[in-house]
Amino acid sequence: MSMNVLVICGSLRKASYNAALARALPALAPEGMHLTDAPRVDTMPHYNYDDQVATGFPPSVTAFADAIRAADGVIIVSPEYNWTIPGALKNAIDWVSRMKEQPFKDKPVALQSASGALLGGSRMQYHLRQCLISIDALIFGRPEVIVTFAPQKFDEATLELKDQTTRDMIKLQLAAFETFIQKVGAK
Amino acid sequence: MADKLNVIAIVGSLRKGSFNAALARQLPKWQPAGMNITAAPDWSDLPIYNADDQNSTGFPATATRLADAIRAADGVIFVTPEYNYGIPGGLKNAIDWVSRVKDQPFKDKPVAIQSATAGPMGGARMQYHLRQAMVFLSAFTFNTPEIFVGSAHTKFDEKTMEFKDEAGIKFITQQLAAFEGFARKLTGKA
Repeated sequence: MSMNVLVICGSLRKASYNAALARALPALAPEGMHLTDAPRVDTMPHYNYDDQVATGFPPSVTAFADAIRAADGVIIVSPEYNWTIPGALKNAIDWVSRMKEQPFKDKPVALQSASGALLGGSRMQYHLRQCLISIDALIFGRPEVIVTFAPQKFDEATLELKDQTTRDMIKLQLAAFETFIQKVGAK
Repeated sequence: MADKLNVIAIVGSLRKGSFNAALARQLPKWQPAGMNITAAPDWSDLPIYNADDQNSTGFPATATRLADAIRAADGVIFVTPEYNYGIPGGLKNAIDWVSRVKDQPFKDKPVAIQSATAGPMGGARMQYHLRQAMVFLSAFTFNTPEIFVGSAHTKFDEKTMEFKDEAGIKFITQQLAAFEGFARKLTGKA
């Protein structure tokens, strides 16, 4: 069975470990899973209900929501900022959460994170899980992908993910996520 | 008499008719004699945080202004809604910017939190996320009384946005009085 999975990246910097992690996914995905990158989250203004009422949803928000809606599943790959969700990523979620046909509703979602330190962004992941409850996403459980001490696991020059244990864990997650989508996916 | 504490209120909502903005505007009515609460600089025109931009063009003036105001304050009060069981993205983005400034301004800063929502929980889920972020930033986050204004639409005057909930006003008055003592202890300001 073939399925389309959208990858949302929570970091915007070029040399981001999370962006590098997202780039590593296609090679580790099961055969029928096609991964595409979501539109960047830095194209949206700060959420303001007054703007939503006055001028409607910005095209960047609509494009982001459409991409989520069209996907069979979503993988969010994000750093942790100040022990929680990056503001940029949360702002994107805040925007689409206000849409009619809210795109995360009943959408299978898996999480991944990488950080330079020993908790690998896990504090962010558990906050994100809580937020995804509010928008009725179907949140994948385990295995979790929490990449600790990221500088040791990516090639310094190419940012290729070279840590075999991490690659194996991602393979396991993506295979299990495929099964999860097949079971719960609404499409 | 002791010097008045300079406390700034950071609002997490941008809409004009925000209950949280209304609450923040009214805090001076309930502040203790030794505290002067003013609005924090506006953060609404901050770009989305990107470390590459920080490295190439430095901090936006708005980030610096907000960081300076936090640093200069004796205490900070967040008054913010809860979006999707968490911190509003815009507010978190502002925190992400100032967290990268040298002499990170929240370090050792007394911080109190208030929230208002139309739902019954009054923003509690957001507050505990914000507390966790404040741990990382080494702020001193004030404990109780906590201010959760639930069913906010029933507690503000529809036209004037005046907060008219007696029990809520009592709790806020208590929180601000206790926050003064907390901030004076931690800042050493007599």
